[in-house]
Amino acid sequence: MPSTNHQLPPRIKRIWGISALGSLGALLVISGLLWLTHHYWDWSIWITVFALILTVIEPLIEAALIPYRYRFTRYHITDLAVEMQAGFIFQKRVAIPIARVQNVTLNAGPLLQWQKLTKVSIATASTSHDIEGLELPEAERLREQIMRLAQEARHDQA
Amino acid sequence: MTKPKRTHPLGLLQHIAKSIKDYWFLLILVFTNHDHTSIWFWGIMIILIIAFFVWPLAKWLTLTYVVAPDAVVVHSGVFVRHHEHIPYARIQTVQSKQWFYLRPFKLEEVLIETASHSDSAPEARLAAVPITVAQQINHYRQAPAATSAPDPTTDDATPTTAPAAVTDTPAAYYQINYRDLVKFGLTSLIFIPFLLVLLGLYDKVPRNVTDALVNDASHLGLTLLIGGAIVIILIAWLGAFLWTLTRYYHFELSRAGHQLVTAKGLFQRNTVTAPLDRLQGVRIKQNILRQWLRLQTVQVLVASKAASDDDDNDLVVMPVIDNAIVYDTMQPFIQWLPDHQPDLSALHVARSWYQIRNTMLVVAVPIALLWWVWPSWGWISLLLLPIAALQGRFAAKNTAGARLSPQLLALQTGHFWERELYYIPTEKIQSMKLTRSIWMKRTHLAHLVVNIRHGNHNQAIELRYLHADAAHAIYDWYLHRT
Repeated sequence: MPSTNHQLPPRIKRIWGISALGSLGALLVISGLLWLTHHYWDWSIWITVFALILTVIEPLIEAALIPYRYRFTRYHITDLAVEMQAGFIFQKRVAIPIARVQNVTLNAGPLLQWQKLTKVSIATASTSHDIEGLELPEAERLREQIMRLAQEARHDQA
Repeated sequence: MTKPKRTHPLGLLQHIAKSIKDYWFLLILVFTNHDHTSIWFWGIMIILIIAFFVWPLAKWLTLTYVVAPDAVVVHSGVFVRHHEHIPYARIQTVQSKQWFYLRPFKLEEVLIETASHSDSAPEARLAAVPITVAQQINHYRQAPAATSAPDPTTDDATPTTAPAAVTDTPAAYYQINYRDLVKFGLTSLIFIPFLLVLLGLYDKVPRNVTDALVNDASHLGLTLLIGGAIVIILIAWLGAFLWTLTRYYHFELSRAGHQLVTAKGLFQRNTVTAPLDRLQGVRIKQNILRQWLRLQTVQVLVASKAASDDDDNDLVVMPVIDNAIVYDTMQPFIQWLPDHQPDLSALHVARSWYQIRNTMLVVAVPIALLWWVWPSWGWISLLLLPIAALQGRFAAKNTAGARLSPQLLALQTGHFWERELYYIPTEKIQSMKLTRSIWMKRTHLAHLVVNIRHGNHNQAIELRYLHADAAHAIYDWYLHRT
């Protein structure tokens, strides 16, 4: 089987963008609550100011890193192993032999469902590794492939 | 169909002991109320009776087990009934614990563990059962899978022949001698936690006593203080020594068929049986004392928590052994181990600087904090810096590894002055990770992480700051292995 290096579907960028917006919302709420503590219990105003600065910076960084995150996240399946790569400044490569795969789980939160994407978790007896988002048919094909190869590998061993 | 059996009435004691261990705080209630006529007192008494007698009795009454030819079945639960069905092929370890008071009755506690992720508790815990039960289970486990189908001839009716088959002469046998046991006890570093417990007790001593002591001490001067500290360390050391001695008393290791059996303990005899093909790896480790004395400890990594009271939750198969004979002694037990100290230079750290820098950065934060909190005494914390630097150097110098054969990987690390050498069968490696930062590209370095199953969780063996080519070679070999 030819092994090709796959990128995640481009729509995943939209989801990361929305989750950055989500962080913004959550941080705004926290800042609001901290402002209330300042207003009613006389907590220092600096705590609120610090939270507000964080509220601006964190989603900005998260959003700014999306193209970078997209570009360097890849996965790759051969007859023997699944390989995942992520990051450029902090590069990470993981090799999971198909014979060691215990189960493959597809799960999707509301955002991923809306974009018809799904997260794929590949679990071994001790670790679990995620592919952040795949097209639904692609993910199902991948799951079938891994499970088929895993079964074959198990037969080989016996 | 065999009838489910209840455990021996002495098992009730075990259940009561466990209740006391879990709900000891209820006893405090008794001391809060001295008025024997009050309704509260009697209410508390009823709660205590339920917690320490009725509940254990109900648990004991409702727990039954069957050792069938294809699986061990355990029924338990007072209100919610559990029916645990454990096929022999899925059992990782069988552990039997025999307290001294169970010995005359030929009883023991049996714990059965599988690799399932259900945490903390073993799959089955039989409080007091005849010692033939564990033997029978091990006999059924030894039987090849083909005959594991229900077979009338190997039915429960013949438990007397089952143990006979297991007690065949072992293929290899080792028993610790007293000199080694004493050496093991003396070089154990568990006296450090003992020391902390002693210091904790100091806090419990009433204030006026300690104040008086401190006053006396200040009259007698510094020598007495130092003397006192040495005495406390010696007491902790002796306590730890005796503790180790009773736990590893009469340690035995044997291999029978495809199973490795360890037995140890004075007051509680602890026997663990693990199939050889379920070993996730072998670890040979030395703490700093044992490095100077050229002694080693050998452990096996299993996918169960049977060894949770051993060092680091790994089953000790050789408490203490001289560097020179470790491979000769171990190879008859675990045949895939090399027969001599292999060359591990394939993976090594060329420059210790990075690890020295990292450990020094780690201690820099507490040093800064201490200095800030106690400006006059903060400088003492500077002593941490050279210690950290030496630890970094130790870690770098002890990082090593090599691919010994297509089936076996050896990896060595140095953490907290402890050198650990892992032998891992390739097929037990769950996944492998290679990481590098962009700056490490320039210096041509990489970290390699090997994940294996250990107890109920993952053990990541991380070799840091390796030469990138060597790390890539291992990673690519693992990825493209056929």
